[in-house]
Amino acid sequence: MALPNLILIATFAYRPLFANLQYSTLNWTLGSETATAVGFGNYVEFFTSDDAPRVLGTTAVFTVFTVGISMVLGILIALALNQKLRGTTFARAAVFAPYVLSGVGVGLVWMFIFDPGYGVLSWILRGVGMRSPEWFNDPQLALTMVIIVYIWKNLGFCAVVYLAGLQSLPSDVMEAAAIDGAGPVRRFWSVALPLLSPTTFFLLMTTMLSSLQAFDLIRIMTPLGQGTSTLIYEAYLQAFGAYNRAGYSAAISVILFVILLLLTVGQIRFVERKVTYS
Amino acid sequence: MTSPFDRRRFLELAGLGSAALALAACGGPSTGPAATTAAADIDFTNVKPAPSIDYWSSHPGQSREVETQLVAAFNAANPGITVNLITAGATYEDIAQKFQTAQSAKSGLPGVILLSDVWWFRYYMNNNIIPLDSALKLLSVNTGDYRDSLVKDYQYAGKQWAMPYARSTPLFYYNKDHFKAAGLPDRAPTTWLEFAEWAPKLKSSTQAKYAYMYPALAGYAGWTLQNNLWAWGTGWSKDWNITCDSDDAITAMQWVQDSVYKGAWAGVASKTATDDLAAGIASTTLSSTGSLIGILTTAKFPVGVGFLPGGPKSTTNVCPTGGSGLGIPSGITKEQQLTAAMFIKFVGEPANAALFSSATGYMPVRKSADMSAVLAKTPQIQTAIDQLAVTRVQDNARVFLPGADQEMAKATAKIVTQQGDVKSTMADLKKTLTTIYERDVKPNLKG
Repeated sequence: MALPNLILIATFAYRPLFANLQYSTLNWTLGSETATAVGFGNYVEFFTSDDAPRVLGTTAVFTVFTVGISMVLGILIALALNQKLRGTTFARAAVFAPYVLSGVGVGLVWMFIFDPGYGVLSWILRGVGMRSPEWFNDPQLALTMVIIVYIWKNLGFCAVVYLAGLQSLPSDVMEAAAIDGAGPVRRFWSVALPLLSPTTFFLLMTTMLSSLQAFDLIRIMTPLGQGTSTLIYEAYLQAFGAYNRAGYSAAISVILFVILLLLTVGQIRFVERKVTYS
Repeated sequence: MTSPFDRRRFLELAGLGSAALALAACGGPSTGPAATTAAADIDFTNVKPAPSIDYWSSHPGQSREVETQLVAAFNAANPGITVNLITAGATYEDIAQKFQTAQSAKSGLPGVILLSDVWWFRYYMNNNIIPLDSALKLLSVNTGDYRDSLVKDYQYAGKQWAMPYARSTPLFYYNKDHFKAAGLPDRAPTTWLEFAEWAPKLKSSTQAKYAYMYPALAGYAGWTLQNNLWAWGTGWSKDWNITCDSDDAITAMQWVQDSVYKGAWAGVASKTATDDLAAGIASTTLSSTGSLIGILTTAKFPVGVGFLPGGPKSTTNVCPTGGSGLGIPSGITKEQQLTAAMFIKFVGEPANAALFSSATGYMPVRKSADMSAVLAKTPQIQTAIDQLAVTRVQDNARVFLPGADQEMAKATAKIVTQQGDVKSTMADLKKTLTTIYERDVKPNLKG
């Protein structure tokens, strides 16, 4: 029974992986039927050129900010949504809605909001006598813009998962802490947060993997990748953006794969030790 | 607790890996030196046209409707043959991505592909397209009636690799109301230096944020900036020699930077410069002739168009050609290639060229295209046609080096959005472009 599954996995998961490894050792122009073997040349080029600090730096900034802010805001929103107040059902739906929207659509709408000429944000800023920043032309602002939109789109996921975690906390433990005189802040820091550690661990894993593979918003909002070229987007630009360097792109993909693998194994081996499952 | 990676699991994974390695070896390119000869001319003797082919287009210049009309007319004129119009993306780059993926997969190739000025040469280097000479001869296509400069754009190594279709030049667009309010003559400036004198008047007498808006850098900055570089007597390159760091180029780009920072009368579009013009944010801009119908429709003021300005060194106006043509992939059957050639001939017929031009603003590619009705409706198209007399073939660096357009845009962005040092930025650009040429182009140039 396992054989069909193994064949499917080998064909659709491992085959592309190994093919990509092979391509990463070639100087191959996409569309060409021939390529020349360059060994580790593509890797050497990446790590000895300006590409490595630029792309790895952008990837690190994007990932740290999107994961960190999404998780912090996610738990704060979850705490608010966990209150028994009127309208929380609507609020939960509203918070989660952006997560299920198309990244392309979200990108297009936010491009209009950020447009320095006639965007909504520009209009608001003009109203208070300020000039709109050049969100699309300044590389640092472009990265900030994409981070803001990415967080807005994916925040709902963190909030809803944290909300589910909060609602599954054992009420007797929380009540005992309250009886012992712990205030709301103390109960959150000393009881709820440690008990939420499996949820936090799950979110850390999933949001980090998602952030490292974020593509659609970057593609739509900053097609040149000026300031926003993360590893995955650089891999795209190199192969398909204009350069057609499929071999070099494959090498960048392998580097991304190794980073993802190391982060996942590292989190399982070291971070999970601090997780309290019961 | 047992380890998740025990001997049994290791063996399973090793087995999977071995199988995958074996499978991986089945696909991809063959390793070896690049082909030293281009795709050969096709002998179409006794070849019958295929009953069906796909035509991949991005409908440039909002041409979906007129392309649908042209395809329907071709199908009606050729019973038993069907051309399917496929929207293969929204931009030339989208089509290129799809085409190259199909090339690598060796399946799903179209019969006719829309290819832009920066893409066809790569297809030529990769042997992805065929020379059209024999097909054009067989079908008695009157190539002499096509506009010479547009046909020559697709010639290399003595062969014709595509035929002109949605061909454009940049035009100078201006808000006539703003010019009137500023007391300026109703015409485009003759030189950029003249415009620099006009710009403060435009800014002070109108509500526009900028007197001039540089086209969005994510678009085709390398294309329109050729005009500035040529006006200052230089270019991105001369033949295969990269000249973007020459003294004249640095002077030209310094002038561009000063227009944004020192003079503060120019801005850089975030998305579409003609939208900024239509919204009254800018008084003037440069954009493709393919934007002409769109801007005339959306602008709520009279739009003026003119030649691109010259500069201190080029005494006449200077303008690059641009846009896209039609080519035929090498990886399809001769029958499909013949049908494709028939379609290319059909859309290039004078009446169809005029129809396409009237719907989009692109230039009529045929000399004999009757443009009287079109010009009566949209007289501004005449400016684009007249400007052909001062057009030049684009710099090799911009159109023949893969990724050069992006690198030019990045360098320009550094100069006009981050106030980067012009000299060092252009020197870095030269280094990058030279590397691209040495690595990706020179080894693939065929004899």
